[in-house]
Amino acid sequence: MGEENYYGEWQMTLAEYFSFLPYGKYAFYIWFSYLTTFIVIASLFIRTRAIHKNTIKQLRIKYSRN
Amino acid sequence: MWKWIQAFASPKNFYSISRKIIPWLLYPFIIITLVGLYWGLVIAPADYQQGESYRIMYVHVPAAWMSMFVYIVMAISGAIGLIWQIKLANVVAKVSAPIGASFTLLALVTGAVWGKPMWGTWWVWDARLTSELILLFLYLAYMSLNNAFDNPKTAAKASSILAIVGLVNIPIIHYSVTWWNTLHQGASVSSIEKIAQPAIHSDMLMPLILMGIAFKLLYGALMLMRARDEVLIQEQNSGWVKRIIMENGK
Repeated sequence: MGEENYYGEWQMTLAEYFSFLPYGKYAFYIWFSYLTTFIVIASLFIRTRAIHKNTIKQLRIKYSRN
Repeated sequence: MWKWIQAFASPKNFYSISRKIIPWLLYPFIIITLVGLYWGLVIAPADYQQGESYRIMYVHVPAAWMSMFVYIVMAISGAIGLIWQIKLANVVAKVSAPIGASFTLLALVTGAVWGKPMWGTWWVWDARLTSELILLFLYLAYMSLNNAFDNPKTAAKASSILAIVGLVNIPIIHYSVTWWNTLHQGASVSSIEKIAQPAIHSDMLMPLILMGIAFKLLYGALMLMRARDEVLIQEQNSGWVKRIIMENGK
């Protein structure tokens, strides 16, 4: 378990810190993948919503000027 | 059929019809994703070689499929826009690019995260990984080129040509594991024959198929949502756009 650091001491790896989660020694990799997927999908929705709001706002300003 | 396509391709009709289609894509996406995740993370058994780590497949593989699928849609739409001068086709190509780039980035990141425990490294210059990275660069080049011109017609023309030329990368990605000796594993689900006699257990295959369908529905919904805004921008001098914006903006 763990890996040797610069000072020759053994310490836990990042993956081992998260081994209490479901899927044990692979928990870090699995949950990191799913978290990344969630962030990407959420970002796509947030960006799409922001584009929509901005488009409506810009067009409203344009038409109210004319 | 052709008449229906022509009617749907009219920006005004597209705007009103697409609004009705979006919920039919979004709600099934949510339901199928939840079922797929439960099946993939809870019901599906551990792999006899890779243990639990293979569960990354349920986001990595659909993301990789989508990266190629969206590029094909983008290139075909670009070609339709070039040949038949259909404005809506150019809109579809333009709004698909950032979505496709996001799926490609996701496939690369989740692939690296899967590679670390399995191969002992985050990245190798293997044919599959390198060709997928080239696909990300193609998406970025398409978006840069599309934003580089003030005239939307010139932008659509130049970026569509790039998308069509870049299409050559898709079979390279797909067959890279067959043509070259790569670290990346071969395809488990790649053809009709393999779906009929898959190399993986049905409890592992079903959530993969469900997640693949869910990602396609997600793309459909996001593409339509973004295309509606792009149509509003391109048609801003039309009376119907002014009427919609001043009334309720929906």
